[in-house]
This record gives sequence, structure tokens and C-alpha cells, in this order.
Amino acid sequence: MSGAVLVLEVALGAAAAAAGGLAPRNIRVRVAAALTAAACVAAIVVAVDVLGSGHPVAVRTAEILPLTGAGLVLGQLGAVLVSVTAVVAIAVCVYWPGYAHHGLSSRAASCVVPVFVTSMLVVLEAGDTVTFLVAWELMALSSLLLVLVDQDRREETRSAGQWYAVMTHAGAASIVLAMVLVSAHAGGHSFAAIRSQAGHLPGGVRDVALVLALVGFGSKAGVVPLHVWLPKAHPEAPSPVSALMSGAMVNLGIYGILLVGDRLLGGGPSWWWTAVVALGVVSALYGALQASAASDLKRLLAYSTTDNMGLVLVAVGVSGLLADGRHQTLGALAMVAALLLVVNHALFKASLFLSVGSIQAATGTRELDRLGGLVRRMPVTTAVFVVAALAVAALPPLNGFVGEWLLFQSLLHGLEVSGAVVGVVVSVAVAALALTGGLTVVAFVKAIGVGLLGRPRSPGAEAAREVPHGMQIGAGLLAALCMVLGVAPMLVVPYLERAAATVVAGGRSSVLRGGIELELSGLHGVLAPAWTAVGLALVAGVAVGTRDLVRRRPKRRVAEGWACGRELLTPRMQYTAASFAEPLERVFDDVLRPDRDVTVSHVAESRFFVERVAYRSSVGDVVERVAYRPAIRAVRWWGSRARALQNGSVHRYLGYGLVALLVVLVVLA
Amino acid sequence: MSRSGYVAMLDLGAGVVLVCAVVTLWRRSLAAIIRVLALQGVALGGVALVLGLRQHDGALVVVSFVVVAEKGAAIPAVLMRVVPRGPTSRELSPLVNVPASLVAAGALTLLAFAVSGPVVALVPTATGRLVPLGLATVLIGVLAMAIRKKAVSQIVGLLLVDNGIALVAFLATGGFPLVVELGASLDVLLVVVVLRVLGSEIRSRYGVLDLDELQELHD
Repeated sequence: MSGAVLVLEVALGAAAAAAGGLAPRNIRVRVAAALTAAACVAAIVVAVDVLGSGHPVAVRTAEILPLTGAGLVLGQLGAVLVSVTAVVAIAVCVYWPGYAHHGLSSRAASCVVPVFVTSMLVVLEAGDTVTFLVAWELMALSSLLLVLVDQDRREETRSAGQWYAVMTHAGAASIVLAMVLVSAHAGGHSFAAIRSQAGHLPGGVRDVALVLALVGFGSKAGVVPLHVWLPKAHPEAPSPVSALMSGAMVNLGIYGILLVGDRLLGGGPSWWWTAVVALGVVSALYGALQASAASDLKRLLAYSTTDNMGLVLVAVGVSGLLADGRHQTLGALAMVAALLLVVNHALFKASLFLSVGSIQAATGTRELDRLGGLVRRMPVTTAVFVVAALAVAALPPLNGFVGEWLLFQSLLHGLEVSGAVVGVVVSVAVAALALTGGLTVVAFVKAIGVGLLGRPRSPGAEAAREVPHGMQIGAGLLAALCMVLGVAPMLVVPYLERAAATVVAGGRSSVLRGGIELELSGLHGVLAPAWTAVGLALVAGVAVGTRDLVRRRPKRRVAEGWACGRELLTPRMQYTAASFAEPLERVFDDVLRPDRDVTVSHVAESRFFVERVAYRSSVGDVVERVAYRPAIRAVRWWGSRARALQNGSVHRYLGYGLVALLVVLVVLA
Repeated sequence: MSRSGYVAMLDLGAGVVLVCAVVTLWRRSLAAIIRVLALQGVALGGVALVLGLRQHDGALVVVSFVVVAEKGAAIPAVLMRVVPRGPTSRELSPLVNVPASLVAAGALTLLAFAVSGPVVALVPTATGRLVPLGLATVLIGVLAMAIRKKAVSQIVGLLLVDNGIALVAFLATGGFPLVVELGASLDVLLVVVVLRVLGSEIRSRYGVLDLDELQELHD
């Protein structure tokens, strides 16, 4: 039965794409969104069935792909990620019709969004390398189209599209090489066949495949130093697309690393896991730092995605290291933490991107320094944004807190394990993650404080109105799920445990216990998120009640606030995003290398009187400047040299053909 | 037809094809080159006819007549109409002079013999040892395209390549199926017609049919 639903899901996705391409203008977005959501519901039905029964669902067809046929096998790990992807996509589908006229209503967009969603689901359901790679490429291409669709008038969008195209194709090439290498040596292209041969692969092949997979999937997950496309493409894409990319697509990078590292090759050597942790730590720190310095709201969120994927990679790497050292229980715990972090990130980040889409639609800007005062004008969107932002900042009683608690539990218990490598890696990771947590809070305090509170800083923010209900519901749905998982994580944790047990070889599936409380069996650690929530609610209630009591005192005097001696308070006197981040930029000057520029212009009559002082500060991406710009210059130079080959003479070109032909003949003979 | 006679006929046909290819490099007059090309087409058709009669393959006999009609008559006739009268109808200054290009043709023929070992080994019959001649014709055709300036010479080079491929096909596999051969022939005819139209157009617009003059159109 489930197999049929799996086919139905793909068919619904295809129908949605066809409807988006063919339906008349006034209904096409609605029809495409409804059919896509239906496909996602089908996906969730299958995934829940797989997670409940513990048996994979498999479908094969020889017709779709020539030579090899297409095979779908949905296992437990895939099912977890399919559910997450589908939930995010459903929320986006609810949101999309309201957003459509802000740049996602064209025939092309309505056709490609369903393709993007369906191909992401198929990537997770693929049972062999060919199906996987075809779906992966489809996903990469459709997401590229969606970055560029409807917005081709802006120069930045075009440049972002180029960056994304190059990075995603370089990544895809690397993945293709890894998969081809592994399946050629294993003598079969289905994942099951490769897994059964994994032990017999030569060590060199395994190492090369692991590195290639890490590069290819790492670039999709936005891992430093392959993250450069993320802060360009995510801001420039229409917000529902950003939500899909950041909430669902980056997860597939993590899935790929788990797929190749654990499921295909059955675990890697410890240096590989150490590399994964190192990448994770660097990504988490760098992402958090850049997020706290960013002044563009979507750029901030994009860097925060890098930060969160870094956390997931730390958990994945530590899990591998611990499982390698025969601490399967701890390894499984770290893997549960990784999966929970992925689930959480998908929910809150998609919700944040959708809220920012609402804000951008209402105010026409996403620059923090042009927003402000939205809490009175857009109360629902503000509430959704705040809930999701608190979840990112890992504050209880939200899901982010539970995820990070599990991560730290697995790290701290990992410290007790003997072994120099594990000890060093884990202690560095704990320190770095503590700093990351602090920086994340800074970034989102800035986003809320400067972007939503205070007074409006621009006419656009002044005139903001609450967005249509569909958009509020789409973003709100995900924020509500963040709260539910924060209070009752045991709703999903047992499933994550089973999925983790399929990934970590020999991992016991009963690390965690409890109904309301989350208890680590055999280890010391109990968390009662529901009681925490009740406690926080009590504290908040007492605080509000006390304030009301205080207010009710009759002697209240209304007076003007202190305003440097001036009567009039203007929005320009508020704290700005730049000023908020300035101290941090100073501390991390060497890493961020901000560009500061002060221009003083004098009055024409005298140099002693200043007419105006302009201060500009921008934080670029230091990795891009140091690593990518020189590489691009080198390619440019090489390209201009190579132009000498092409001088317009037909004879020369034919001569090249002759020489190439001769070389081939000689080589082949 | 006795066996030795059959082999001699095949040797002759394939030899003529190669010699014609070399002669196109030697002659400068475009009209003469086209006549040589026509002779090559006839020789190619002859090879197919001999093979067809020997193997009692009716389709191959039909193909041989098609080849003679197309490559021996139709294409040369179309090309002749492009060739202008007067001194411009000569390949006056090829990029590589005639003696050097003849030496190059010899070298390419040697190379063809050197590298076609694997193909020869694949062919079970005695015709396989003639395969290098076809390969040499292909190489000389590409060489002709690369060093000749007139558009007509380029077309001739292309046709040499095509004839060489056809010769290899006849010798190695006993010819294509009829349908494939007809399709390929139509393609080549179409290419020649298009090039002819294009050539006339270039000449009427730029006054010459020297491809080097087109270099200024670059960028």
C-alpha cells in the first residue's frame, strides 16, 4: 500500500508542476500550491508508516530512467527528513498564494516550485545512485531557476544566481564522482548492493569518496568555506523559495554526508569524523559571527543557517567518533541530537524566512536599519518571528533548547570517554559551541530589537500593514510546531532514535526514556521541558501581574523621557543594527575585517565648520575575499590567455580538429 | 568472378579512392578537383558493387548505384555551378604549399596504416586489410579542410571525409543497411546544397569566396 502512496506522491508532484505551467493565470498558483501540498501529505503518510513499522518501503520501475530504471527505497533516516521537508513545504504552500504577487506568480515559478519540492522528496527516497543523482540535479537546477525567476531585473540577483550555479554544479560534480567511484568498485548501483560490498572496498577509494562527498554535500549544506553562495542566493530568492532552500534543501547536504559516510561506507576512519567536527565548529562560529554583524535580515538568516548546519555537523562527527571507539550508546545519542537539530532548524528557519517575506512584502525592504516599529503594525508576524527567533537562540521552552541540550549532553558525556582524539575534539567543540550560542543570541536580539521594536525608521516601515491570513498561517504553523516540540519533544524523539539506530552501527535504541521528562538512561541527565514551560509561564504571569499591580497605583506621573535636552525624539536617535554590532565587530576585527569609511565634508566658507559626516560600514565575507576572489581572478586571467586560441580563422579551428583527431588515433592505437 | 579477380577489383577501387584524395591536394584548379571527386565517387560505388555482387546482396547493389548517382554525378554537378569562371577558380595560395601538403598526406596515410590495427583485427574477411585506405582518406579530407582557403575546397574536404567513412563502412561491415545509406546520402546532399547557397551568398556579399576574408567578422 505504502509503495502506491509513494508513487502517488511523485505523480501529484508532477501534476502540480503541469498545473502550474498550464492553468490559467488567476488560479495557477493556488492549484499548484494545493497539489504540491497534497503530494507532501502523501509523503508524510508514507514516512509515518515507515517510522511506525520500522520497515522500509521500496518501489522500482524500469520505465522512467533508461538502462538502470528508477528505484525508490524509503528508510527510517529518509523518512525523518521527508517528514520535515514535507511539513516545511506544506507551510510554504499555505503561504505562497498570499505572497505570489510579490514575485512568485509567473507561469515558470508555478511550474518549478512543485518540481523543486518533489525532487527534494525523491532525493531522500532514492534507493540507488542513478535515481539519487538525477533527483539531485533536478533539485539543483529547479532551485537555481527559482532564485532567478521573476527577479531578473536586479544585478545582485543575477550575480547571486551565478555564484549559486557554480557552487551547486561544482558540488554536484563532486557528488557524482564520489557515487560513481563507490558504485564502480562495489559492482552495483543500488544503495543496498554498495552497502553489502562496503567492507571490501580498497582504503584509498573509501578515503577519496569520503572527501568528495564531504565537499559536494558540504557545499549544499553551506559549510565554511563552501558557504559563499548561501548569503547571496538565500537573500535574493523570493522568500518562500528561501524558506524551502534554507529549511529543507540544506538538510539534504547533511543527509548526503550521512548516506555516504554511514549508510554506504559503514562509517569512516576517525580522521574523517574529526574533519567533519572541525568543519562544523568553523561553520558554526563563522556563521554566528557573520550573522551578528549582518544588517540585511535575510543575509542574517542565511548566515545563521551556516551556523546551525555547523552544529549539526559537530553532532554528526562526534557521533561517528564515539561510535568508532565502541561507544555506540553515546554515538546514537549524538546522532539523535543531530537529527533533532535538523528538524528544529527546518521548522524555525523556514518560519523566519516566511516572516521576513511578510515583512518585506509589507515594508518593501529587508534592511534592518529601515525597519522598526512593526510590533504595533504587524503583531501576528512579529509574534511568529519572535517565537522562531527565540527557538534559534535556543531558549526554553522552545525546540531549539531541547536540541542544543541533547547536543551538549552528548558532548559532555563524550568528554568522559578515554582517548586523546575524542577528548581534544570534544572539548574544543564544547568551547566553540558555547561561544556560538552567545553570538546567535546577539544576532537575534539585534534582529528583534532593531527590526521589529522601536519606531519605524523609514516611510515603508511606517506604512506597513499586516499581511493576508494565508501568509500569517503559513509562517505561524511552523512557529507553533516549534513550541509543541519545545514542550513535548518526546512526540518525535522515539522516531529519531530509531532512525539514528539505523545510521550508527550497533547503536542501541533506548538511550532516551520518559514521557513528559526526557531522561538519558544509563547516563546522568534529565530534562523536563513541559515543567520548564509551566515554570516559565508562572514566572511570566507573576511578572505581568506585579506590573499591573504597580501600574494600578494612583500616583502616576506622565513626563517626557530624557532626550539629551531635546524635546523631540526622532527615529534616527535609535540604536541601529550597525551600532549594535559595532562592539562585536571591534572584538572580532581580524575575522570580520569590516570596511569602514568616514567622509567629512566641510562648509564651503570655512574648513572649521563641518557640514556633514557620512559613516559607512559594511562587512563582506572574508572567506570570499581571501579564497574565492583570487581564484576567480586566476580563472579570468587563464580565460583571457585562452582567447588567443580563438582568432576567428576557420582554418585554425579545423586544424585543431585535425590535431585532436590524430592525437586520439595515436592514443587509442 | 574468381576470387583473385574479386580481390584485385577491390584493391583497385579502394586504391583509386585514396589516390583521388591525394590528387585533390595536388590540383589547384577547382574544376579539376571536382572532377577528381566525381571519379572518387564512382570508384566508391564500384567497391560497393563488387562487394554486393560477391556477397549476392541485392540491397548493396542498389546502394552502389545510389552512391554513383549521388557522389559521382549529383554532388559534382551542384559544386560545378558554384565554381566561377576565371582566375578566382584556382586555389592560388593554400595555407600549406602543394609539395608540403602531399608530404603531409603521405605521413597521414602511414599513420592510418599504423593506427588501424585494432579495426583490421575486428574484420574477419580479407577486405579488412583495406580499411587503412578509408581512414587515410578521412584524414586527408580533414587536412584539406584545414589548409585550403576556398569554400569549395572546404566542401570537397568534407566530402572526402564522408567518402572515407563510407569506404571503411563498406569494407568493414559489408555496407550500411539500405535505409541508413540513403539517409546519410541525403544528409550529405543537403549539406552540399546548403553550402552552395551559403557560398553564393558569401560571394555576392563580399565579392570573394575566400574564407580567410571572413576572419574580420570575428568579435
